[in-house]
Amino acid sequence: MAELTLRRTRLPRLRLRPGRLGVTIATTVLVLAVAACLFAPLLWPLDQSAVNLARIRLAPSWAHPAGTDDLGRDVAHRTLYGLRVSLLVGAVAALVATVIGGIVGGIAGTLGGRVDRLLMRIVDTVAALPHLLLGIFIVAMLRPSLGAVILSVGLTHWLSTARIVRSELLSLRTRPFIDAAISGGAGRLRVLTRHLLPHVLPKLALATTLMVPHAVWHETALSFLGLGLPPHLASLGNMINDGQGSLLTGAWWASLMPGLVIVIVTLALAAVVARWRDRLDPRVRAELQL
Amino acid sequence: MVATAGEPDTLNPVLNFGVDGASLIFDGLVARDATNTLVPALAAELPAVSADGKTVTAKLRSGVSFHDGSPLTAADVVFTYQAVLDPKVDSTLRSDLDMLTTVTAPDPATVVFTLKYSYAPFLQRLTLGIVPAKALTGQDINKAGFNRQPIGTGPYKVESWTAGDRLVLAANDTYWGGKPANRKLIVAFVADDNVRAQRMRAGEFDAAELAPKLAAGFDNATGYTVQRVPTADYRGVMLPLTNPVTADPAVRKALAVGVDRAAMVTGILAGAGEPAFGPIPPTSEYADGSAAGNPSADPAAATALLDAAGWTPGPDGIRAKAGRQAAFTLMYPASDSLRKELALAVTADAKKVGIKVNPEGLTWDAIDTRITRDALLMGFGTPYDPDFVSYKLFGSVFAAQGYFNPGSYKSPIADKALQDGRDQADPAERKAAYATFQQQLAADAPWVFLTYLKHTYVVKAGITGVSPRVEAHEHDVANSLWWNINTWTRS
Amino acid sequence: MVRRRLLVAVPVLIATSIGMFLLGAASPIDPAKQYAGAAAFTATSENLDQIRANWGVDDPLPVQYARWVGNLLQGDLGWSTSRHEPVTAVLGARAGWTLLLVSTALAVVLVSSLVLGTLAAYRRGGLFDRGLRAAAYAVEAMPVFWLGLAAIAVFALSLGWLPAGGLTEVTATTTSAADVARHLILPVGVLAVSQAPWFLLFVRDSVAESLRDDHVLAAKARGLPGRTVLFGHALRTALLPFLTLIGTHLPELVGGAVLVETVFSLPGLGAVTVQAALGSDFPLLAAITLVTTAVVLTANLLTDLAYTAADPRVRLDG
Repeated sequence: MAELTLRRTRLPRLRLRPGRLGVTIATTVLVLAVAACLFAPLLWPLDQSAVNLARIRLAPSWAHPAGTDDLGRDVAHRTLYGLRVSLLVGAVAALVATVIGGIVGGIAGTLGGRVDRLLMRIVDTVAALPHLLLGIFIVAMLRPSLGAVILSVGLTHWLSTARIVRSELLSLRTRPFIDAAISGGAGRLRVLTRHLLPHVLPKLALATTLMVPHAVWHETALSFLGLGLPPHLASLGNMINDGQGSLLTGAWWASLMPGLVIVIVTLALAAVVARWRDRLDPRVRAELQL
Repeated sequence: MVATAGEPDTLNPVLNFGVDGASLIFDGLVARDATNTLVPALAAELPAVSADGKTVTAKLRSGVSFHDGSPLTAADVVFTYQAVLDPKVDSTLRSDLDMLTTVTAPDPATVVFTLKYSYAPFLQRLTLGIVPAKALTGQDINKAGFNRQPIGTGPYKVESWTAGDRLVLAANDTYWGGKPANRKLIVAFVADDNVRAQRMRAGEFDAAELAPKLAAGFDNATGYTVQRVPTADYRGVMLPLTNPVTADPAVRKALAVGVDRAAMVTGILAGAGEPAFGPIPPTSEYADGSAAGNPSADPAAATALLDAAGWTPGPDGIRAKAGRQAAFTLMYPASDSLRKELALAVTADAKKVGIKVNPEGLTWDAIDTRITRDALLMGFGTPYDPDFVSYKLFGSVFAAQGYFNPGSYKSPIADKALQDGRDQADPAERKAAYATFQQQLAADAPWVFLTYLKHTYVVKAGITGVSPRVEAHEHDVANSLWWNINTWTRS
Repeated sequence: MVRRRLLVAVPVLIATSIGMFLLGAASPIDPAKQYAGAAAFTATSENLDQIRANWGVDDPLPVQYARWVGNLLQGDLGWSTSRHEPVTAVLGARAGWTLLLVSTALAVVLVSSLVLGTLAAYRRGGLFDRGLRAAAYAVEAMPVFWLGLAAIAVFALSLGWLPAGGLTEVTATTTSAADVARHLILPVGVLAVSQAPWFLLFVRDSVAESLRDDHVLAAKARGLPGRTVLFGHALRTALLPFLTLIGTHLPELVGGAVLVETVFSLPGLGAVTVQAALGSDFPLLAAITLVTTAVVLTANLLTDLAYTAADPRVRLDG
């Protein structure tokens, strides 16, 4: 497996190095975004199917800060809900990916040996496939829908989690306190839940968080291609897709705001994670390809 | 040089290319003129129908030859129709020729069709392009090279077809209808609406089909004319009678008067359409004006209907009756943005009168499994004969059979009218039958018809000979504004 | 080593194809209705049943798989139900454009990231370095399709400098190189810009690191001119890991190409993949996925080979 170790250790560690101010801003942005998503239905409810044919394609103004779209819907309002939908789908999909990765990595790390080699070979294979293409294939075969999008993200993004869990378990196995627990008569399950899980969980949480922007991207790309969420639902990908049609009629604002929101939230997340990452030990960092 | 979004899958008429004629490459026994009236094409005169309506005899025009120079004979016509009827051939056209038993050629210039039952509009089915038997005999028609490099009798022959890009046609100088005025015709396939508009703007095309909103951008531009062609292409909401909410006639009628068709035409179609109230377009001689209603929404009438039927508003504004909310799901094909927009407009209008509609964007196969229970935004329509689509769409024998009559509409009066329209050869009696049908449909409202579309084209100024005719739902290379492009000239 | 890799590649391809087949079988989509398109609405169910029987799509799964593999080995990838032509013809007509798009974009990315990254590393901490890094992070956060729309809005619609899409002017009867080049500027540019950040930041970091390496410092101490040290020594050290980066980033480049082709309506594999997915065209989708996998595996092998050739200390089969 020399080529694998080689590839992994040589992978670039690109580092965003935000200053203190940067991290503060990023954290504020994220907290605001999440809060807005959580409380939007209470403060500013949106009827997903509301249209107003009398107010179509209005340019940005005080009444509609980001303009209105082809069906007279307020772009700013829908962007907020788009973020909500995209973050929710991203989070659930990242969770699915983590579960798949956790199971595969857990089996590989606990059993080791031949099973480990086989599973890691599969991981490397899937890593070599173009994610988006595979995702398109999965969605096409399962029909575009919410479930298919989540599954599509889950089935293409579990690799790094599997690697982290595996290597974490493998290294833990050699640690003295595990030996002590086993020789102290603790059962396999008890060792797993009491001693191994608490060590692995924080890393899993980080991996899941890191995956959220990827999952959001995957969702928006699929929705943009018309292979994602139901098209009347306000999601960032759907809105950019609709906005493409509005471009030529002069309504450039329809796709501007959803795109900007993706950029800002991704950057903020990257900055916050960069801070978190610096406190990690270098091995996990390498696995996460940071 | 013309541009369209709809690239055909095949250029073989047997496999559904240009079955309604005007395919530029092929001719049928008959064709349609600018008013969609049947005129003889490969037949010397309109085929003769026997008194019992079960035998149709066509005499072939003499001196017609295919692009490869071989002469057209009755054997080619027989081959074409038999290929359609052959179960080994993957042709969906077979369903339309259900009434056809045999096709024979008593002599090289005569073709005889024998029908199972008399079928008034049979001649309308003879627009199917004729293929040369020689080029296809003994081959697997489904995969023949012919499908991409066909040989016909039409004004243009195929020079090349680059899939996803363009179809290059060259004039057929020996065309029986006269030498085409244009030596070369390129049909560009540009799937993306925006790109097509952009390239039209750059002057790349002489004519292009554009989405209504984009075509509107050319209205004030010099050097272009915008053609808004009336069609029989309608959009409407199919309301299943098996669904407990939409089964109530009051709900259906309230929706029918509560939707703002005029706003849909201006807001969604950018003016390129007209309100629809039934499946027979106003341009048709069979249209019955009394079935039409008010193009604007009439919420007062809608609420009155619902109140009278016992649907009372709940605290959230949604009406309910006997503990059941006035709510139903409206499906639309997710990939069709026009139907999505119409579905959302219906949803918004319905909400104003206290009916809750849940729009759901799905793929066709997902729609398939639910089509007998949930409402669907459907589109159909052909201007040629009122029997064509409506017989199956509203006939009770076809109830719940796939896309035929998914909502299980059953009306003995409509059934009889549809059958009469099919059986009667006399135009006046047919007209009366279809008037009855339209009135019954308006009374029962199994569908809420929304709009007839106008297909919008932008044509460069200085082109003469453009002659729009009422178009069908399906139009691409064949049957578009350029149906007679072989006679267009540039000044 | 090549043989060992090939031995691995074959089971990988088999596993991928079986996986795809199972997914295709689990799919609720009716191929006959997909084929019929709009005509499915007027076709009778017996009509559609007959078409299904003609295709053998109701046969048991192993039979279908065996037939598919058998045809595959004879070079027949099947019949595309959405395009109505052989899959090989679809691939043949379109793969070239995708290859052109991806390889041109890759070349632009490589050259620009090497040059800009090295310059940034040389003056690290400077205004250029900071600006470049900020731009790289910002671009990395932009979805490539959004970037494409922005490029169309600015360069095609507002300024009118470049065409908004397509491959050639329709008036052109032949595909002239100059015409194609003009149409490819925006798509190649957008794909390159969207992929550049990773490469750029990587070059910058590793050149900056190697500038502190002993042999580079030694070269500097010997009094070699700055440019020689920078490009001759520091960059060369950084080049090796860069090669691996290309291999691992290829899948992402392919994904980007799918989106870029869709935005600019280029007649490439990416655009046809999306159409196939919308039309649930299993034979075409399966073939594209399989072929792309094979290409990516080959490319990985090639980068690894280049790596061993470039650095004899690395032995891949060790």
